[in-house]
Amino acid sequence: MDLSQALVVLGKAIGAGLAMGIGAIGPGVGEGNIGAHAMDSIARQPEMSGTITTRMLLAMAVTESTGLYSLVIAFIILFAL
Amino acid sequence: MYKEKKLKNIIITVGIIYLILAVLNLFFYDGSLEGIGDRWILKFGDNFFLGQINPMTLIMSLAVMGIFLLFIKGLKFERIPGRKQSLIEMVLDYFWQLTDETVPVQKYKKPTFVISMTLFFYILISNVLSGIPGISTTSVGGDLKAINLFTDTWYTPTSDLNVNVVYAVMVLLVGHAFAIKSKGLKNWLKTFLSPTPLMLPMNIIGEIAKPVSHSLRLFGNIMGGGILVFILSYMLKYFVLPVVLWGFFGWFVGAIQAFVFALLSIAYTGSLLE
Repeated sequence: MDLSQALVVLGKAIGAGLAMGIGAIGPGVGEGNIGAHAMDSIARQPEMSGTITTRMLLAMAVTESTGLYSLVIAFIILFAL
Repeated sequence: MYKEKKLKNIIITVGIIYLILAVLNLFFYDGSLEGIGDRWILKFGDNFFLGQINPMTLIMSLAVMGIFLLFIKGLKFERIPGRKQSLIEMVLDYFWQLTDETVPVQKYKKPTFVISMTLFFYILISNVLSGIPGISTTSVGGDLKAINLFTDTWYTPTSDLNVNVVYAVMVLLVGHAFAIKSKGLKNWLKTFLSPTPLMLPMNIIGEIAKPVSHSLRLFGNIMGGGILVFILSYMLKYFVLPVVLWGFFGWFVGAIQAFVFALLSIAYTGSLLE
């Protein structure tokens, strides 16, 4: 392939890699925090562990959404631009 | 006893059909990694703005409705519930408790509950379908290129962005309509100006950001999972779709996202009504 096509592929690769790579830091830290506090409260009150597990999964699903925005942007850069 | 044996026979027959098609695909299918993000789009009416449809979404939406109607066919309500009825009652009871404590006005508890339960069952069945191998299509640049039989999973309507945006906008409009009916027009306009009139742009942006995040969460989870497993199956040459991977991405994530969608729709409607 000639130089202009190679430059386009270079731009796509760097863009998608940076978008997903930096965007995966935030949800990882956040969900670890949620899990840590959930473990603490289960250790304090073991009889509520069912309720606490359900609410923890719910909070993790909402925290995941910003990581998903960066995934969608990475796919748009790679495949539709 | 007879019914359970019939169910086992159906499962065994379907399993044998899948196995035969999987072996055929191993020998005769040279898979290529093209057409990942493209969809088959039919244009009619000389490129008018509203003149494009996605036929797979229409067909699969009708199929999901058909599956749901099949499931509840001949379901009679009895005083001492059987297995099907008690399972559905457990799920609905949990959501009714949530609605009861979130929505403050008595008159709008049942309509909110009915709307969010409809959305929940529809999204749940669509996401569970996305984890079962079935018929799908590949397309390059908007034209239909090939119809794959049982190499990839069923095409689910929730992997199309239009469907998710319509659900989220519907929840927004229904919430605001209930708020206008219950509080009156002047009080509803006053909630935009609270706590100070300087917060008017922030309130409007907040109202617009709700459907954006609501829809993109569902779309990103389902379509992102689909593309990831597609790439991984390509590396395994389509012989056996990794079952554990589909179990996680298709069923676990799909069920949780359906639950979160319904829960958030109840929360948004409830917060507008107080």
